[in-house]
Amino acid sequence: MNTVHQEPMLDGGLFALLLIVLEWTRPGLPSPLRPICDLRVLNHFIKEARDAESAMRSCREGCSLSESVTVPQTRVDFDIWEKKNALDQAQEVQSGLWLLHQALSSLRASVTNTALHSHLDNSIRNLLSINAVLRSLNIQEYTPPASVVAGDETWQVSSATDLLQVYVNFLRGKVRLLLLDAQACHQDVS
Amino acid sequence: MTYDHLRQLLVLSLLFCIQTASIVQGAQDLERKASMLLREEPENPKCFAEGRKDFTCFWEEDEETTGSVDQYSFTYTYQNENSSKCPLRALHTADGKRLYVCHLNRTQMFVQMDIQVHRQGLLIHNRSLLIELVFLLNPPANVTVSNNGEQGQLRVSWVPPPLKYMDDSMMYEVSYAPADSQTEQVEVVRASSELILRGLQPGTQYSVRVRVKLDGISYNGYWSAWSDPVLTNTLPADLDPLIVSLSLIISLILIVLSLTVLLSHRSFLIKKIWPAIPNPESKFQGLFTVYGGDFQEWLGQTNGGLWLTPVFFYPEESPSPLEVLSELSLSPSLPSPQEEEGGLDEEKRLGQVDSALMGQWRGMPHDQWLMDQLQTLHRQPAPCSQSSLLESQDAYVTLNANNHSGDEHLDDILEETAPLEVLFASMRNVSSESHSDMGSLQQSSGSGRLSSESSFEYPNHTWPPKGHGYTYMVVADSGVSMDYSPMSSSRVDDIGKVVIYANEYKNEIPAHRRPLLTSYM
Repeated sequence: MNTVHQEPMLDGGLFALLLIVLEWTRPGLPSPLRPICDLRVLNHFIKEARDAESAMRSCREGCSLSESVTVPQTRVDFDIWEKKNALDQAQEVQSGLWLLHQALSSLRASVTNTALHSHLDNSIRNLLSINAVLRSLNIQEYTPPASVVAGDETWQVSSATDLLQVYVNFLRGKVRLLLLDAQACHQDVS
Repeated sequence: MTYDHLRQLLVLSLLFCIQTASIVQGAQDLERKASMLLREEPENPKCFAEGRKDFTCFWEEDEETTGSVDQYSFTYTYQNENSSKCPLRALHTADGKRLYVCHLNRTQMFVQMDIQVHRQGLLIHNRSLLIELVFLLNPPANVTVSNNGEQGQLRVSWVPPPLKYMDDSMMYEVSYAPADSQTEQVEVVRASSELILRGLQPGTQYSVRVRVKLDGISYNGYWSAWSDPVLTNTLPADLDPLIVSLSLIISLILIVLSLTVLLSHRSFLIKKIWPAIPNPESKFQGLFTVYGGDFQEWLGQTNGGLWLTPVFFYPEESPSPLEVLSELSLSPSLPSPQEEEGGLDEEKRLGQVDSALMGQWRGMPHDQWLMDQLQTLHRQPAPCSQSSLLESQDAYVTLNANNHSGDEHLDDILEETAPLEVLFASMRNVSSESHSDMGSLQQSSGSGRLSSESSFEYPNHTWPPKGHGYTYMVVADSGVSMDYSPMSSSRVDDIGKVVIYANEYKNEIPAHRRPLLTSYM
């Protein structure tokens, strides 16, 4: 009787061991993303965001937000920022990027000026690229909550120029600081 | 107790001094930056950030129109926040102006800040800015300039302003110029704290200074003040070894080429530079070496040397009487010598003359005959001496001083003259002069031999001269050079042994037959 019970456990253990070994030596597994530590990528995104902001500023019609959107806070108090741990910083940046993505998509939908469409499309693409960069630095992705919660770190904008300004400031501020401080980059450099 | 008090006092005073010094330094820095901003920034109030946390704003007022500092209020509002006030202080500047300064120790970046300045409730200044875009940093510290071992290069390094997170956002300008010149060059450096200056003049003193600014992507601001200039000398110029070696090789090649050309044309060059002076030394044996150029003496001493030509004789010498004798007609019956082309008659005449001469000869003693010849000479001119060199084909006569009776030889001579007659006949057409000479010669001497254009040697066996005889010879040359050897009268014994030979163009006298020949003097 005992032997009958032990056999499946042994089999299960062997199977688990086999899986572990196979997982470890799995051929064809793509290597983890190389950390993108060069900030010139972000600089490029920032420049393009600034171009979009200046384009929006000079737009007269067909360039307004249909509804107010939630955007992250961009302010950085260095004393406070440095006191935060890496995880919180990452969380802050990731949620902000997600919010911006939503807002820019909404703006893209409501803007009728074709000249701005390219700028906005570019900006949305850049946001997704930033997500990839953060993924390469082993920064966890943000899972949005079921319902949008207005917190300390968010506020509402109703103007397209304000939105784009927030977008630019966010990239220049928190996103950049997070990339500068990324552990993955520091490990490689040191 | 007192000691402790004293110590505390000392510490406090030190701290006070340090703080005062820093305040004074800060004030000086502020004044410098304020003056720079007053020039560059058009908006009011002028604001700048010096670091990550501090922020300064100010504006300028004239002393006359300003009120007290209490009249002014400085209000700033971050986006989505409540406004705050900033305490003001007043600064008096050198040029009679007043600065109202607001200083913040904590700032928020990447967010818009609205500033409002009120004077007694009235808004006088309004401005919106982002703090991270108005940086005005201190100039880079510890600027060092050194030689990096290369010609015309200097290495500049500095310490960037100590701002965390902003090192890679900084942009530098390096200005360098020779210490005594005003033209300066500027190099821009990004995100690096050293630079190598190239293309500098060697051995000169350069003045280098650096200033810093944020690059404008994430952060922005104004150019900082220039750092204090640093003077350094570049390495002195030295010869590039490659250039030196190449120039040496090229010069060597050129030298070799020129030497080759010179050597290959050396004969030509020597002729051009040292032209050969023609030296007649070879023609005159011993003229220069022995007689030192005295031609008279040389002529007197030599017997004509080895290579005599009548060219040198005729202008100098007049024919001797003996020579003229050859033209005398001894027998009145004989026709006088005439220059004419002869035919067969002449031949005969010659033959007759010859026999007549022989008869005559036998009859007369030698001395008497000589005297007669001499007399004749004085009466008749000697044509020989006037003849031109080329035309003269004088016969030459050799008088034999032989005392032997030549009778027994006469026959031989007579026989031997026969072929001569034939020769004469053949050569008569060439020259009439020679013909006449021959004729005279035939007449004058029985034992003499005649020569026409060619020269013969005449063994004169049969002349029985008394006393000392002379052997002489008239040089007859129609351009043919002859080779004579001196003869002495003592060698008359050998005369009989000389064999006649006839040579039309050459007179080659064999050495052993020499005794018959002598040159007259």
